[in-house]
Amino acid sequence: MRERSAPLDDTIVAIITPPGEGGIAALRLAGPDALAIANQHLRSRAGEPIALDPFHLRYAIFHSSNGQNIDEVTAVSMPHGHSYTGLEQVEIFCHGGRMAARLILEELMSSGARAAEPGEFTRLAFINGRIDLARAEAVAELIAANSHASFRASREHLLGAYSEHVAELRDQIVRVTSEVEASIDFPEEEISPASQAEVTHQIESVVDRIDQLLQTYQGGRIIAEGFSVAISGRPNAGKSSLFNLLLRKERALVNPIAGTTRDYLSEWIELDGYAVNLIDTAGIRIKGGKIEALGIERARKIIKDADLVLWMCDLTRRSWRKELEADLKNLPSEKTILLLNKIDLAKEKSETSTDVVPFIRLSARTGAGLGELTGCLSREIHKRMPDLTSGLVVTSARHKQKLGGAVKALRSARIKNQRGESPELVAFELRQATLCLDEITGKVYTEEILGRIFGKFCIGK
Amino acid sequence: MSVDFDLIVIGGGHAGVEAALAAVRMGRSTAIVTMDPERLALMSCNPAIGGIGKSQLVKEVDALGGIMGEAIDATGIQFRRLNLSRGAAVWSTRAQADRRFYNQYIVDYCKRQNKLTIVEGLAGLIMHEQDRVIGVRLEDGTPVRSRAVVVATGTFLGGLIHIGEKKIKAGRFGEPAAYRLSDSFRELGFELGRLKTGTPPRLDGDTIDWSRCELQPGEDPIPFFSYRSAYRQFEQTPCYLTSTTARTKEIIVANYRRSPIFSGQITSSGPRYCPSIEDKFFRFADKSTHHVFLEPEGNGTSEVYPNGFSTALPEDVQAEAIRTVVGLENVRITRPGYAVEYDYCPTYQIKQSLETRRLSGLFFAGQINGTSGYEEAAAQGIMAGINAVLFIEQAEPFLLDRSEAYIGVMIDDLTTRSTTEPYRMFTSRSEYRLALREDNARDRLFGYARKYGLIPDADFHAFKATQQATTETIKRFSKARVRVSELGGLADRFTKFESVTIETLLKQPNVGIPEILPHLKSVESVTSSSPEILERAAITIKYQGYIDKQAREIAQFKKLEHERIPEEFSYQVVTGLRNEAREKFARYRPGSIGQAGRIEGITPGDVAVLSVHLKRFKSAVA
Repeated sequence: MRERSAPLDDTIVAIITPPGEGGIAALRLAGPDALAIANQHLRSRAGEPIALDPFHLRYAIFHSSNGQNIDEVTAVSMPHGHSYTGLEQVEIFCHGGRMAARLILEELMSSGARAAEPGEFTRLAFINGRIDLARAEAVAELIAANSHASFRASREHLLGAYSEHVAELRDQIVRVTSEVEASIDFPEEEISPASQAEVTHQIESVVDRIDQLLQTYQGGRIIAEGFSVAISGRPNAGKSSLFNLLLRKERALVNPIAGTTRDYLSEWIELDGYAVNLIDTAGIRIKGGKIEALGIERARKIIKDADLVLWMCDLTRRSWRKELEADLKNLPSEKTILLLNKIDLAKEKSETSTDVVPFIRLSARTGAGLGELTGCLSREIHKRMPDLTSGLVVTSARHKQKLGGAVKALRSARIKNQRGESPELVAFELRQATLCLDEITGKVYTEEILGRIFGKFCIGK
Repeated sequence: MSVDFDLIVIGGGHAGVEAALAAVRMGRSTAIVTMDPERLALMSCNPAIGGIGKSQLVKEVDALGGIMGEAIDATGIQFRRLNLSRGAAVWSTRAQADRRFYNQYIVDYCKRQNKLTIVEGLAGLIMHEQDRVIGVRLEDGTPVRSRAVVVATGTFLGGLIHIGEKKIKAGRFGEPAAYRLSDSFRELGFELGRLKTGTPPRLDGDTIDWSRCELQPGEDPIPFFSYRSAYRQFEQTPCYLTSTTARTKEIIVANYRRSPIFSGQITSSGPRYCPSIEDKFFRFADKSTHHVFLEPEGNGTSEVYPNGFSTALPEDVQAEAIRTVVGLENVRITRPGYAVEYDYCPTYQIKQSLETRRLSGLFFAGQINGTSGYEEAAAQGIMAGINAVLFIEQAEPFLLDRSEAYIGVMIDDLTTRSTTEPYRMFTSRSEYRLALREDNARDRLFGYARKYGLIPDADFHAFKATQQATTETIKRFSKARVRVSELGGLADRFTKFESVTIETLLKQPNVGIPEILPHLKSVESVTSSSPEILERAAITIKYQGYIDKQAREIAQFKKLEHERIPEEFSYQVVTGLRNEAREKFARYRPGSIGQAGRIEGITPGDVAVLSVHLKRFKSAVA
């Protein structure tokens, strides 16, 4: 874990709204001197000093230390123990754009606040017991959330429904464990711990519930990481034209996954509230351009990882049917949509040769058939989305791993129990399962987990 | 400084005796201050040693050179292993003692120790200079000076016996309690609390109709506790099982208001795992009868201990109720049951070494730390004795962690949470249970025992040979193969194979040495191995997979245990801590980050804050 300086006596500050144009920008100060530092800079319209009252939004003019009027702002303070971080906290809302916020930030820093490190506010919230580990991770996802659906799932996590659910599962395991333990520690007592069959039944019931939760991971991953659509096909089938067409027609998004470098063209669009990552396999860049095989290998990998594949074929080619027949053998039929391109140029009014995969006739040049394509995409995404109403969606790979670990240990406990192995070994496996769940809600403290989670946050939140 | 003894131990019970003998083994002149030198290591309650979770403690005490194991081996009248069907890690030996011989054995043993003096008297005052203990003043005014003191007062500290409405100031039936000493602790600034325990009436076995009770024989071959005990074959004395009747319940329910437990006369809490008979009927109202185990108190006596019938009801109700138990229709009570309240010292006041924070050189062991049970007492006693000597020698204390011993689990539990009932060991308290077994107590602790001079060197070397032989046997088991066709009943588990190794066989559920014994004749030089070595090898093979699995967890645990928190670390300067956490930390003063995290009510966040500050503190000091 990266060593961080101790933040606990410091007052920290950061701009908490994302870079880019916006009507309003916000800054957050947190720490023992948050209020004192903020008050130094806030003046009424008449130039009188202002002292913020807890939870009251105040209009103020933000002054620099040498008395210059920097911006009109609104500000609110939260006392120690009643803020997101658990520390005394002030939030200042100024005019959008980078300039005003930057100047205010510099003023606050010159008055004694320190720039917050990535994830530090949330780290403080966790440290001060305001949120548990699963919620802290949810915050990380919320920040990265780039679509409406994603935002909703993260918010549900934040509200703790998910933590509660995991805690419930844990409780269920602890209950079975106590039955098994009772038979070990109190064999001479006239108690009747659950029978072998009951223990099996109880374990199976937890496994089922965790399995259900795990099944939401595919959808959860789509929520957290976006839905990926690969545009692929033989050379000159019109892949780039379609890529550009979709980018033009749909709202483009800033790449929400920071720091990912890819050697192919990929852009984000929003489609019906879902973040969609479009990948143009034609854009695969091969160094020197000579190794064709490597390019094909990359394309295969993209197709394999994509949630949906748009396979384009060029209707103007004479041999397109034969080629398509061959290509289809290598394509994952369950997630492929066939795009019969260049309908504006094709001579024959071709019917498709396949009923294996759905197909759409279009022209990437004129835009004909595009409406049908986006409708189809939207339906396909929707089909693969989990039910968000419960909020119980696994979105993090770490959670998936831990839940999987719990299931594995539980299955092992069940088998040992059924085979009549000694209860101490059943109890051992049950304990392993409990430990896995502990690592989700943070009951077991391990620095590694913390390091990984807090390293994931982007600046200031 | 002129002293009478290096160490004074107040109290000659199971804790006191182990403490004193450990100090003697380490070459220190030691005194036990006791009211009755003939009553050392008396069994105040049930005449039995061991049981689940407790036998593991006895084996650990034994591996540290303690006397409990050898004393019970020499004086036990019935031996059994509990949990035989539940796995070797939780196999627990339990023995019925001849109460009188057990105590006599230890009295004789103590008398033979040149460096041990038994001082007959009642300790009245802890003497100290500033914050260091310098001895004990007896109630008659005699000062006894020492470099360190272990307090092991049991139920005698402020002891108050309740029998029905009657209250008697006593530590045991007919023996005076120590009240002056309680005051001395209060004057020194210790916080004292009250706990309660109870004991059943004793019965005249000649008035019991044994034919109506179920026989519970001992086990053969006889399982002993101590590695030092030679096997001896003898006629074991059976126990009997019987049961209360509907009439018992009627009588007890009708007399609830006469029990001090319900009348409000007793307010302190007793152990939930060992309730009085009136408590059982009260709390489990739907249950109409309860088991009663009839345990003989010895071979030379007809006295019987009715385990499960602890009560504080008035004597007339006890007599009426016990005669409704099957087989006890005409029984005569030789001594009434009672409840006893006593003072204990909430354990935030001691360090992991069992030394008090308030006075250096003063150590607590046994019921004064809120525990219950002979074995728990003995285990603390031996640790307190060793640490008192290490204190005298200005050496680092001897601490065992949770992954090493049940002793470590117990002391860690005691020093991270407050007791609401007398603390008793259970195997489920240990997260590393599969590694903390009866059979490997010496593997875990002999190194320490040798280091501190608690065992003869010869024992250590002999054990090295045993370990060596075990390793070789394991190796042979991993190579030697048995034809599946010869496996008989076990064969259907291996239908796809022609032959399997002994190791594979031993990893099967419900397969141990007895099951594979017929197949061992072909294994080179294994037949000559002692049963002990064969069993050690078999158990090691069975658990190896699990222990390997847990290794990462233990490494993690050890890492946090090794992040030590200096005793002088001030929690007042730790900003960002919740008030509750600050109070808890300041109260328990955890020895390590790992321990800090186990304190009740502490969240991972609290530990994160603490660990940040600790790093800063350490770098400032360095």
